[in-house]
Order: sequence, then structure tokens, then C-alpha cells
Amino acid sequence: MDPVNYKRKINVGWLFNMAWRDSRKNRSRLFLFISAIVFGIAALVAIYSFRYNVQNDVDSQAATLIGADLLVSGNKPADAPLKKILDSLGDKRSTERSFASMAFFPKTNGTRLVQIRALQGDYPYYGTIETTPIEAGTSFKNGQTALVDKTLMLQFNVHIGDSVRVGNEFFEVVGTLNKAPGQSGAMAGIAPVIYIPMKYLEQTGLMKIGSRVNYTFYYKYDHPVDMDKLTKKLDPILDKAGMNYDTIKTRKENTGRAFGDLGRFLSLVGFVALLLGCVGVASAIHIYVREKIASIAIMRCLGVKASEAFLIYLIQIVGIGLIGSVVGAALGTAIQHLLPIIFKDFIPFTISVQISWMAIGQGILLGVIISILFALLPLISVRNISPLNTLRMSFDDAGRPRDPLRWLVYALIILFIVGFTFLQLDSWVGSLFFTLGILIAFMILAGIATLLMRAMKLIINSGWSYLWRQGFANLYRPNNQTLILMVSIGLSTMFICTLFFIQSILIGQVNLSSSGNQSNMILFDIQKSQKDAVADVTRKQGLPVLQQVPIVTVRLEQINGKTAADLTKDTTIKIPHGVFAYEYRVTFRDTLSVSEKLTDGKWIGKAEAGKDVPVSVEENLARRANLKIGDKLVFNVQGVPMPAYVASIRKVNWGKVQTNFQVVFPTGVLEDAPQFQVLLTHVSSNKVSVAFQQAIVKRFPNVSIIDLGLVLSILDELLSKISYVIRFMSAFSIITGIVVLIASVRISKYQRIQESVLLRTLGASRKQIFAITALEYLFLGSLSALTGILIAVAGSWLLAKYSFEIPYSVSFLPAMVLFFIITILTVIIGLLNSRGVLNKPPLEILRSNA
Amino acid sequence: MQKFKLSYIALFAAFALSACGQKNKPAADTSAKTDTTTKSDASSTVKTILFFGDSLTAGYGLDDPSEAFPGVIAKRLDSLKLPYKVVNAGVSGETTAGGNSRIDWILKQKIDVFILELGANDGLRGISPTETTKNLQSIVDKVKAKYPNAKLVLLGMQVPPNMGPDYVNKFKAVFPAIATKNKMALVPFLLQGVGGHPDLNQPDGIHPTEKGAKIVAENVWTVLKGELDNTKAVY
Repeated sequence: MDPVNYKRKINVGWLFNMAWRDSRKNRSRLFLFISAIVFGIAALVAIYSFRYNVQNDVDSQAATLIGADLLVSGNKPADAPLKKILDSLGDKRSTERSFASMAFFPKTNGTRLVQIRALQGDYPYYGTIETTPIEAGTSFKNGQTALVDKTLMLQFNVHIGDSVRVGNEFFEVVGTLNKAPGQSGAMAGIAPVIYIPMKYLEQTGLMKIGSRVNYTFYYKYDHPVDMDKLTKKLDPILDKAGMNYDTIKTRKENTGRAFGDLGRFLSLVGFVALLLGCVGVASAIHIYVREKIASIAIMRCLGVKASEAFLIYLIQIVGIGLIGSVVGAALGTAIQHLLPIIFKDFIPFTISVQISWMAIGQGILLGVIISILFALLPLISVRNISPLNTLRMSFDDAGRPRDPLRWLVYALIILFIVGFTFLQLDSWVGSLFFTLGILIAFMILAGIATLLMRAMKLIINSGWSYLWRQGFANLYRPNNQTLILMVSIGLSTMFICTLFFIQSILIGQVNLSSSGNQSNMILFDIQKSQKDAVADVTRKQGLPVLQQVPIVTVRLEQINGKTAADLTKDTTIKIPHGVFAYEYRVTFRDTLSVSEKLTDGKWIGKAEAGKDVPVSVEENLARRANLKIGDKLVFNVQGVPMPAYVASIRKVNWGKVQTNFQVVFPTGVLEDAPQFQVLLTHVSSNKVSVAFQQAIVKRFPNVSIIDLGLVLSILDELLSKISYVIRFMSAFSIITGIVVLIASVRISKYQRIQESVLLRTLGASRKQIFAITALEYLFLGSLSALTGILIAVAGSWLLAKYSFEIPYSVSFLPAMVLFFIITILTVIIGLLNSRGVLNKPPLEILRSNA
Repeated sequence: MQKFKLSYIALFAAFALSACGQKNKPAADTSAKTDTTTKSDASSTVKTILFFGDSLTAGYGLDDPSEAFPGVIAKRLDSLKLPYKVVNAGVSGETTAGGNSRIDWILKQKIDVFILELGANDGLRGISPTETTKNLQSIVDKVKAKYPNAKLVLLGMQVPPNMGPDYVNKFKAVFPAIATKNKMALVPFLLQGVGGHPDLNQPDGIHPTEKGAKIVAENVWTVLKGELDNTKAVY
């Protein structure tokens, strides 16, 4: 026999050959491992694809908020140099002039304040001017024709073909205006809109010196443009000209927190998907390679070099990882395409299903990289496996001594997670924190697993029944699966639970005006004498009086003896001037409203005669004016000085359509002060709205009405879409998480076979083996699920507080349910894993799985 | 067209018991007492001019409410050493209906000259001129009933041309009609020379700047001076 030449050159072909041959040994086992990778990557690709699609859907819907890429507006015509700049923007341009005017409907002899919008160009570029008939939305620009708001049509009994007079000109009404992009803000509410073509504007005679007109320029870019950069450049120019701009992004930001929440939630989902993929792939690879150590030792005995053994298995792992990832990506894409079709009746909006190559690419890349990284950990020790290991059965300890390469691999894994997290979050700080969080979670789980093993070793004594001893001893004996199962079950539970918590907190934040009895119509300037009569009319129309509050205008004259004049003299006083210049709209009542929360001091609902008035100040005002509990104030209630003091500080939720106040007085002082009333109600349809408005205007001509229905319905549509997206994504990710969890528990199948078979050979009954397995999995499942849930409670609290900045609340019932589900699932899978052993004669199993 | 916080017109009823006079004697800069005080610390010879109006009177958007035209007038009275005290009873967003409910509270104090500046918000909300007329008349009636000797000044307002010629004309006619009927002094258009000039208005295009307010005050002063009592006039 020739001596082995250890200096021989590495034969690549042979390595591949060996990798292939080794995999032949047990294809069913290999299949199991690949399937875990497939599930992990499928989860990731499906979630990513949905995420990208859904994000696009919401973005394109958001674009209809403004209808163009960029909007510039001001209340002066642009001068020549500015006009040159404005004309250089965008690939497509439209202009609009809007102003208030009294429209006259000759048919019914009706006059009403409306908002005229004279339009030129192809605006809107996103969304459409929705009209009945549909074609009127674009065709009205062709003649001396107009689109008239739906409520207006109903109010004045106008039909298509009738005419409306704007200024000196008559326009034929060719369409009912149902909805238009960019129609938001107070003006859209106070006055219904009429669209006319710009070319007829001049002859209406309304554009004269002194006319108050808004000039709006809409721009659409056909190629991608860095809007932030553009607007940054434009900002000073426009600012100087007294003009404003709006982009889809700014409009989204102003629309409220919903978009931001959605973005952050989708990032979270992306991160969770990434880690689910990691858990799926890593646990499979880890166990797979560990099982291979024996084969490697044998190969080493036969003269295979350590480096060759290393490469053989590396090649094999890359192969497995690649196959698993490609199949997983295909499966994920298939799910992404099939799911919306299956659930189309349940999902109230269409999810576009475009193949996301970005998601697929990331999925495959990630699958392969994780496979390699997690295979490296055990494979590094392959270098140190001596042939003797074949003879010794304790391969667990092989290569345990501190191996610097191990740390390198750990570092690589962390680096990799940070890198991919960055792809999801787009923020390095966020990525670092998320990764740190996962590391901590991982360490907690690993720590608990180690503690558990130690504790079991100590606790178990011969006094226990055999089954209990055996079941628990499995947790710490060599070749145990405590650590790996604790980590994978624990992490998956944590993700699922965190997503669930955050999801329910976010959904709780979304207030739809259509849901419940949210107000969408505001009546103001109701005089005190009309108060009851207006409420009466409202109720008679079958509408709810959601809120009716008195509003008194006051000024703040002194804070702790300091007046505005003192401010001018003494610049050391830390009170901004505006605090005194401002006219405060205050109300008085004896209780806090539902949207308010005391943060300091004591709420006093009733003033005592002859004493200083205890008032409640809103948090932001308190901060701005540097007010503390007990500070003395003097209000000027339209001529009457009223000494008061800060009795409490309130936090107000400004997000809802309702009346909120910076300062609230107690009852008993302002009842006689000049005031007007505001009434909030909810109208369910245009018809109801029109009938109600007519009834009010007829009896109370001074009362002004803001119908927010249209504005809110556009927002509602968007918000409900966002909340469905959040629900859908979280439900989908949770289900995927459970699948990944199942897959990673499933790969422990072969861990216990040998022992079970031995036990059976020694005469253990099926029942006994059943009980032993059940005990082991029950314990592992429940402990890791519990740990996972607790970490999730802490994690979601941190997320709510620092990432979403919303109040945290946790629902324990679903957490309990999740706990039981995961525990039971773990036990069931564990038992399924050993089913083969229980049902077949031991020898058969020994032969097929040797 | 922004918030509904503004207003334009004013009627000015000044009520002084004596003849009118105007003094041009410049005095050292004394800061004017603009704000409303019920404490009648001054001697009985000091008379009260009450500006009853909306945001234009209240000085909406100005750094200091005393920069609004009533404040400017107060400074002028002060520098002329005229024995008048100015009370600014402007409330932003006030309509004539609101003014009509509020007037009782305001009339608790003794008034010698009543300057009415309301209607602009009615105009911006498209409220029917008939309604505006009714409310203005009611306010004037209440003032007359309580202080029959008070001088009354009405500050006239206009709505911008974009509201449409019909409405613009009807609205404009409200003020001379009220003034004639009640024998009030009339400033035909309060914002004469200010409205429509971007440089004299705040970015909202409605509310005068500090500089604009000075012109507005001048518009008012031209009429108001005729209603003041110049017994102590030092020409």
C-alpha cells in the first residue's frame, strides 16, 4: 500500500463527486433538511414579495392624494424669473387656479359659496377626477362646461345639461364630481368644488385686482427624480416668493402617522421574515452537518485530508442551500400569486401580484449564505476531527477548544444579519438595534437552555418514575436537542408574538370616520341662543349630536405677573411672544373628554366663586409657555380680566375629528361670556348631508357647515387599506412563522430514533416511548414558547415606545392561546417524529436508518 | 382661501360728547394702553373708544396685538394727549351673528365712541348680505339702546372680486345703507390702499402687516377724528 501523500493536489472533480456520493446515502433524510430550508426561504420570499407589492400599491394610492409628483402653490401669480423656473420643472405640467366664489344655479335660483377650480392640462396624473358620467372627468376641458360637486347637484337639484353661472359666464354642467385627487384641507370641506376649464376663466370676470386666488402648478416626471434633492433646491426660491410645495412624500407625512406606521411595520415584517428564513435554514443545516461528523471521521480514517473533508461538505451544503433556496423562492412566489386568488373574497382590495425579482434574489442569496455560515460552525471543527473520533462516540466535544475561526464565523453571521437587516430597514442605527435585540433574545434563550440542562442534571433523582427520568434526562444527555429547539421554537414564537402585539396596537390607532360614530360634519358659529334649536334640528333629521361644545375666545394677559410688555423689556424671561399674541379658543366643562389624559396636577371641574379659576393646560402649550402646576395666569375674557392658575396639564390626542382645546376652563365662570357653539355630527350619505345642510341654512343662516365626508372618505379608503395590509401581512407572517417552526422541529426527527429503537429492543412498550418523547417535547415546547412570549412582550414594548412611538398595551389572552398552540404543536410534531419507531418493528428501522 | 379667521369691515361709531378736534402735537413716545381694561383707573374725563370687530381689529397674525389698527390709533391719541382710552374688543373669526350675541357682554363697560368692524367673515363664508345687514342693525340698536349718546362709526368692508359681481355689489352696499340709516360716520372701505397689495398683507393675503395696519389706522383716523371731542385739544 502506498503511503498517503498528504501533499497531493486537491482534485476538484473528486470533491464534487464525493459530495454527490455522500448525499446519496439517505435521500429521505436529505429531503427533510432541504424542506426546512425551502420553508424558510419560501416564507422570506413570499413575505418580501408581498411587502414590495403592497408598498407599491399603497404608494400609488398615496400618489392620488396629490395627483402629481410635485405641486407648487401660492396666492400670487408667479413673476417672470420664477415663472421661468416653474416652467422648467417636470415633464408634464398642469396649472390650476382656485378661488371662492358665489355660484348661481338659474334653474332653482340658488346661490351658494363654492370653490372654483379652473384647470389646464392633463392633471391628475395619478388617480382620476371621478365623475358621472365617467368621461366627463376629462371631456369637460373641451368646452364651456363644468363639473359640479355631488352635494351641490343634490342641493340645488341640478342635473347634467343644466347650467351654472360663475362670475359673468354660464357653464353647462356635464358631470357630477364624485372625487378628485388632492382634494383635501379645510377649503374642500367648507365649499363644494366646481371644475371649469382654464381657458374660460378670464371671461368670467372674476380675475381682477384684489381677487384672492390660489395658483397651483402640478408636475409629473416621466423618469425617476430625487424629489428630496429637487425640493431642497426649490425650497428657498419658493419660500422667497411666498409659495409652497408638496410632494407625494410630504403629503403622506401630513396625512398622519398611518403611512409611517405602515412603513415601520413592513420593515419589521421584513426583518422577521429574514430571521424566520435564518431559523429555518440554520437549524436544518446545523443538525445536518452535526450528523455528518461521524462520516467525516470515517473518511479521515480512509485518508481524506481535513481540508478535503471540509470542502466536500462545503460543496454539499452550498448545493443543498442552493436547491433549497431556489425551490423555496419558487414556492414563495407561487404562494404570493396564489394566495390573493384564493382569498380574493376576503381581502377587500386587490393586491397586485408582480414577480419581485428583488425578493427572489434576496431569498436565494440569503439561503445560500446562511447555509454556508451555519454549516461553517460545525465544519470548522471538521479540521480537528481525528480519525479516532470514529471509535469514540463523543463527537460532541470535537474541536471544542476555543477556535479563533469560530469567532470569525460568529462575527460573519452578525455582520450578515446587520447587512440584510439594513436592506429591510434602510437605517444603520435601526439595523444595529434590531440585530442587538435578536442577539439578546438569542442569548436569553440559549442561557435558559443551558440553565435548564444544568438544573435537570441536578434535579433528576432516582426517586422519579422511569418515564419522567428518561424524558427529562433527554434534555441534557449527550446528543440532546435542547439548545437548538429552544432557540428555534423560542425565536419563532417571539416573532409571531411580537408581530401580533404590534399589529393589534397599530390597528387600535387607526380611526376610520366611517367606522362607529366618528364625526364627519362640523357646524360652527352657532350662537348661544340657537344652541338648543340647532341640536333639535339635528336630532329631528335622525342625526347624532356627537359633540356640542361652547367656545370662548380669550387672551392670555399675564403669566406669574409677567405681561407681553415685560417680555419686550426683559429678554431673560423665557416665554415666547406668541403665547400672549395668540387668541385662545377655550371651552368650559366639568369632565375630561375621552381624547384627553391628565399628565400632571388635578382636574377641577367646577370653579369656586371669588377664587382664582383652576384651568387645565394642554401639554404642548405648557411646554412652550413654560407653565407648571400652580402658575398664576390672568386671562382677558373679552374685556374682563380673569385670574386663574394652572390646576392640571393634559395630553390631548389631536388626531381625531373632534374639538380639542389648549386651555379648558371649569364650569361656573364662562357661562355668560361671549361664545359660540360647535356641533359635531355624523352624516351617512350625500343625500342626508344635503337635506341636513338645507334644513340648517334655512333656519340658521349664520351657521357655517363643514362637510368633511368627502375628505374623510378619501382618507378612510387609504387608512382601511393600510390597516388591512397590516393585518394581512401579520397574519401571513404568523402563519409562515408557524410553518417554519414546524419544519425546524420536524428536522429533529432523526435525533431520537436510535435511542427509541434501542429502548424498544430492550423491551420498552410503545406507550413508554410515547410518554418519554411527549415529556421531552412538552417541556421544551412550553418553556421555549413561554420564554419567546416574554421576550416578545418586552420587545414589542420597546418597539412601540421607540420605533412606533405609540402607547403600548398588551393583550394577554391571545398570548396565552399562542402559548398553548405552540406547545401542543411542538408535542404533536415530536410524537409524529417518533411515530415511525412506534409503529414498525425495531429492526426495520435500524436497517433503514442506520 | 384659508381658514376662516378674518374679517374686513368695520363700522365705527364714535360717541363723544363734545365736538371734534384733531391735534397734531407730537408727543414723546409713550406706549399706548391698547388693551381692554374694565378698571376705570383714569379720571372720569377719560373717554372710551371701543373697537368692536374681528381679526382685523384683534390683530390676527401680528406679533403684538397692539400693532393692529386700534393700537395704532391708541398711540396716536396718546401722542396727541387726547383724553381717550382705546378698548380693543376684536375677536378673530367673528361674524356679524357672533358679534350680535357678544355685544351685551361688551356693553357692560361705558362707551363713548363705538367703532363697528364686522362683516368680513360673513363675506368670506358667502353669508347672505340680508343676514349681515340684519345682524349689523341689531348690534347698532343694542348700542344705541344702552348708550344713546355714544358716537357711532361704521367701518365699511368689501369682498374680493372673485366672489362674483352680484355678491360683491350687494355686500358693498350693506355698509353705506346701515350708516345712513343710523346716522353713523362711515369709513367707506377699511382696507383702502391695503387690500390686494401683497407687501402690506401677511402671507395669507387677508390680514394686514404691521405696515398695512398703519395705513388702515390712517383710513379710520380720517373719519374718527371728526367724531372726537377736542375740548382739551392743544393745537
